Amino acid sequence: MFGSGQDVLLSSCETERGGRVVWRVFHDSVMLIAVSGQDTEAVCEFQLRRLLDNIWNCMVLILGIDELVNVRNVERLKRDLRLCYQLIDGFLEASGEWMGDVTHCVDCLLPPQLVLLQEALDAFSHAAESEFGCLLVHGKVVAATEKWWRLAPQEVVLLTVLLRSLGGTACCDQPVFLPQGSPTVPHRLLRFQLLPGADVCVLCGPSPSLQRAEIELVGRFWRPLMEILWTCLALKDHCLPGSVTLHKDVLGLLLINRESSRAISSVRSAVNPPGAPSVARRWELLRLFFIFTVKRYFVQDEVAQRQKRESLQEEFALGFSHQPIQCYMVTEECKCFGLQTPHYQLYLLMPFSVPTFALRPLAARTLSTLTATGF
Amino acid sequence: MDSDEIHGGAVEGKDEEEDEGEPESPSSGSDCSDDLEPEWLDDVQKNGELFYLELSEGEEEAALVQSTVAQGLATNHVRFSEQEAEIISDSGRCKESIKREPKLKRLVKILKKKKKQPSERRGHSKRSLGSGSASSRGGASSLQPASILKNQAGQRSGVSVQQQQHLKEVRVYLNPRRLGGCSPTPERGGLLEALLGVLHRPASAEGATGSGGRGQEKLAVHGLVPNSPAMKCAQILVGDVLVAVDDVDVTPENIERVLSCIPGPTQVKLTLETASPCEGANSGRPGGRPSAQVGQLVKLLWGEDTAELQMSISHIPHIIMYLSLKLDSESSKEEQEILYLYPVSEASGQLKGVRGVFLTLSDMLEGVTGGRIVSSSLLLRQHLVHVGYWKEGGHLLVVGLPAERVPLLQLSTVVGGVARTLAIMFGSLDRAFCEPDHGSRLDHFFCLFFQRLLQPSWLTEAPGTLPPDVSGALFQDGLPGVRWLSLPPEMKVEIDTILSDFESSDFGEMSEDFFGLRRLYVTLGSCLFYKGYLIANHLPKEDLLDVSLYCQHYCLLPLASEQRIGQLVIWRELFPQRRSPLAPPTSSPGYGNTHGRCFLLIVGLRHFLQCVLLEAGGCAAPAVGDPGPDCVYVDQVKATLLQLEGLEGALEERLATPPIPCLSCADWFLPSPRDRLDTATASPVFGRLSRRSPFTDARGRRTSPQRSLSDSGSEGPGDSTPDVNRKLGGRRDSLGSGGSDGSGGSGSLFKIPRKRHPNPFYLGTLKKSLSERETEEMYNTMKLTSGAENTLFHYVFMETVQGVFIAPTHREVAQLSGAIHPQLIRNFHRCCLSIRATFRQSLASLEKYGGDVPQGACGLGLVKEHGVLFQCKPENWTDQKKPAPTMTYWVIGRMILDPVPQEFYVCFHDSVAELPVEMAFRLSFGLAS
Repeated sequence: MFGSGQDVLLSSCETERGGRVVWRVFHDSVMLIAVSGQDTEAVCEFQLRRLLDNIWNCMVLILGIDELVNVRNVERLKRDLRLCYQLIDGFLEASGEWMGDVTHCVDCLLPPQLVLLQEALDAFSHAAESEFGCLLVHGKVVAATEKWWRLAPQEVVLLTVLLRSLGGTACCDQPVFLPQGSPTVPHRLLRFQLLPGADVCVLCGPSPSLQRAEIELVGRFWRPLMEILWTCLALKDHCLPGSVTLHKDVLGLLLINRESSRAISSVRSAVNPPGAPSVARRWELLRLFFIFTVKRYFVQDEVAQRQKRESLQEEFALGFSHQPIQCYMVTEECKCFGLQTPHYQLYLLMPFSVPTFALRPLAARTLSTLTATGF
Repeated sequence: MDSDEIHGGAVEGKDEEEDEGEPESPSSGSDCSDDLEPEWLDDVQKNGELFYLELSEGEEEAALVQSTVAQGLATNHVRFSEQEAEIISDSGRCKESIKREPKLKRLVKILKKKKKQPSERRGHSKRSLGSGSASSRGGASSLQPASILKNQAGQRSGVSVQQQQHLKEVRVYLNPRRLGGCSPTPERGGLLEALLGVLHRPASAEGATGSGGRGQEKLAVHGLVPNSPAMKCAQILVGDVLVAVDDVDVTPENIERVLSCIPGPTQVKLTLETASPCEGANSGRPGGRPSAQVGQLVKLLWGEDTAELQMSISHIPHIIMYLSLKLDSESSKEEQEILYLYPVSEASGQLKGVRGVFLTLSDMLEGVTGGRIVSSSLLLRQHLVHVGYWKEGGHLLVVGLPAERVPLLQLSTVVGGVARTLAIMFGSLDRAFCEPDHGSRLDHFFCLFFQRLLQPSWLTEAPGTLPPDVSGALFQDGLPGVRWLSLPPEMKVEIDTILSDFESSDFGEMSEDFFGLRRLYVTLGSCLFYKGYLIANHLPKEDLLDVSLYCQHYCLLPLASEQRIGQLVIWRELFPQRRSPLAPPTSSPGYGNTHGRCFLLIVGLRHFLQCVLLEAGGCAAPAVGDPGPDCVYVDQVKATLLQLEGLEGALEERLATPPIPCLSCADWFLPSPRDRLDTATASPVFGRLSRRSPFTDARGRRTSPQRSLSDSGSEGPGDSTPDVNRKLGGRRDSLGSGGSDGSGGSGSLFKIPRKRHPNPFYLGTLKKSLSERETEEMYNTMKLTSGAENTLFHYVFMETVQGVFIAPTHREVAQLSGAIHPQLIRNFHRCCLSIRATFRQSLASLEKYGGDVPQGACGLGLVKEHGVLFQCKPENWTDQKKPAPTMTYWVIGRMILDPVPQEFYVCFHDSVAELPVEMAFRLSFGLAS
């Protein structure tokens, strides 16, 4: 890149009215450049950096790291990279409903009868000779085996996006490299559609064959649970079981478990006070508020670690002498509140009509309601 | 005190050149400096610009004092007989209210008169004078009664002899330039008072007429002017008699002439006849306050000795470059695209090496993202460096600064500030950088610029005590406003009147009638700073911002706040931004900008700084060439400042008043580490205090530390206080309910029984709070937050229309000293940077789309209010058993667009249960009134 001869590493540029260019070189072989136009005010450097990370991981997931680091034939690599396009598009078009791309946390959905689903999944995975099994509804993790949770959160996010992009088919068998777990040795990712929007998948070795698994296992383990799966599907934007009652004024929320790197995001389409933003806008606001808060105030654990080595971007939040633990913002449309505890981060969206001083107790109550579910 | 009087005096002084010899005009002596060329005249450069800074006395004295104090100690040991000792004890008992008595007593003793004569009233004094004159008549020149100066001859020869005669020599540093060429009128004490700081009241009110009566009067010291050389040397006492100046005998008759012969700043030996031992001699000057760091700033401003300062930051990557985008490919000269570069150091060399990157980026990115490049970040030897760009015409200004000093959020503001300052100084960036003879001046400018940003601790007063508040400086400098000090209305009116009188320019030589010529300049307006605070402004907002940017980049405001400027005269052409072709046309109908040339005149005197914007052309005579400063205008500004000096006391008083609204110190809300508590309890008084303080109080934080302390303090130590507490509490409550007019409910301003906030570990304020007067005043203090406690820590209130902002004064902040509090303020300012950036960004996106904002493009939308809650823990918490206590506080910013754009930033303790919004509103009311 420019200036590398002079021992200078260029990392990013900003132009008038919010246009941005961000560079990053991966393993001294591939440079990714992200550009955001000037009319996309909302895109910040943080987001572009996450995007570059994600795209690099996509490439590794599909092609394996060897092929990317030791490039023998550039033309062939270019052709091979076409395989990733669909997956990369999944990240570029990321909006609404899930936030794993920016949070680097696994988007989850809290089902009503988790125990039954978990038992079925464990049995299914065992039968498929795999320790890595996962049940997804609307691209969000409902249940997963213990080993699956031990995968790096970024990998799980990546896999869910991959499953989402595979779409429509009843079942498929896809070789994947895990960017952190096994970047050089591929695994088989078997995916079966249980219902439109509900999938189960396992990571496994050479056996079983896709056909055997589909014919013998899927029906056996999942047919009895169809009712529960239907109710899960019905949760859609809500992502929370009906047993969890939130304050009527909560328009949307994002709860992150910092220890397990899991997140629940929920927008309540049923709550519609006058003047409140649309459901799509609520997802957008939630995402923007999260990015803003993380960028400025709440230091992500991974960032704090990275800072010790070196950072290509300024970590504004690290400059505070005291620790920010809560923040709020009042805009024309709504009010946002974010709070951070050692274990959780909670971001709330509330209508403009809620008095500002009520935000904090409301957030505290919401947090205790949600943590009571054992998430 | 009327302005005409002073102006008249100055003009009169000019006219009186020939009458100098006349004893009737004691002021004529000072006119010497007027008649001579002003000392700054030699410094005026070819292009008419002037930057003349004369050291404050304290500063120049510092060196002298070092050498002379020891000497002074040696010479001033005076032995006293028992008789004299009696007198001393006598005079020692005298209170300030009867200042003249010691002198008169001694006079009495010496002249063997009875005690009837001494009196404080002038009518009586005249009599005593008369009798005195009778005895000493015939002393032709300065002869004092022989009984005093027995060894008149030996006076000049030997120190030892003088000591026996109770004469002492005092060396003081005098600087006639400080007077600013304005002759002190005789009513105001003449040079004796103005220059030396010695008050001498002529014994007779009508003494001016009878010269015979004057001859016998002794030059007794009746009082000392605060902060004057006489006061500062601490060896001249009230009651002393001034005998000689530099071995020249002086009398009331000739003193003015003798003093007026002092040509410039110099050390003068005063011979005084004294009745008291020189107690002050041992103490010397208190502290020798001026520190080396202040010297650094002055040196920097003088352009001296910058190499060392530059060396100390040479490892930090920073650079400023002005690059040409249009390259002449034929002449392949090396580095031809660099039009200007500063500094030349190793780290900057690396940045200079990659200038190609900057050029390429600026060229390329416009095509990629559709906007000009604003900034880029790069990693240079593990340092993250932000580079800001400013494109003008075919040239590119590149500013590189380390990320740890200037966050990206603030970079564009900093770069914009530099570009605007250069534009107002030179007309445009091109003119600034492309004219060859500007090089050294730009070096100076950028040397100051980088020192200010990278090494602020070198330029500020306190060395090594606290890390300077970098974000605070960044935040406050970045605000489109000037720090304002709110004054009581009557004072404000007085200052405004004085400024208006000056600006009307219809007196003396400034009026057109005087010479029948067109005047040289029209005064567009002026603004006045005291100790770095704006106290009056008669400039349009944009001009004010221009002027303040100039002052900011030349560090003039910290200079004026930290030390007394001897004399500062700055003159230069200015290119106000509102007149530049780039500026948007003014919307006000019927008002057209004239296109005359503008000149900026800044005159500083002591802590005052007046900035005047003058216009040539238009209705004044057009300026030809590069005119230098005109003495008449400089003198008029000085005269104005001298006139304002009378208000210095009142201004100091204003600065010393307890902060309104009341501020709390963060440390009061946190228990201190155990070790501090232990040392505190060692003393019985402290033990009592800490028992009453919430640090050991079982009732917890709800009983505010301040209140319990101030309660006990107001009653005096030793009393049992529960009763008092109840009483005060009841009184507070009643006041609280009584004061709830207007805003209603709990949200009203009410008075609290607390003026100061005694730090339990600082007895000084406690002692003060014992006085009755202050106890009464406690009831008059305004409190901003509601609830039982005062929980406001800090605030900034930005008024966009006038271009001013209000924040607690430095002194108010300094009073709230503590370990946590400075951290908190730094944190507050850093958070404000973020909040303000959020406001601006949301406004920018709103402007871009007008009312019709497309979905997904507007970010979070218009942010009106934004707050962050911080948690802090005491440092080095030693108690392992218990978790460290925490204190949480909010930093909240609020932006109001209607009816006038305003911004509030407040920082308060978490315990405020009500709407902080309401509080912000009250802040505006409290300050605007």
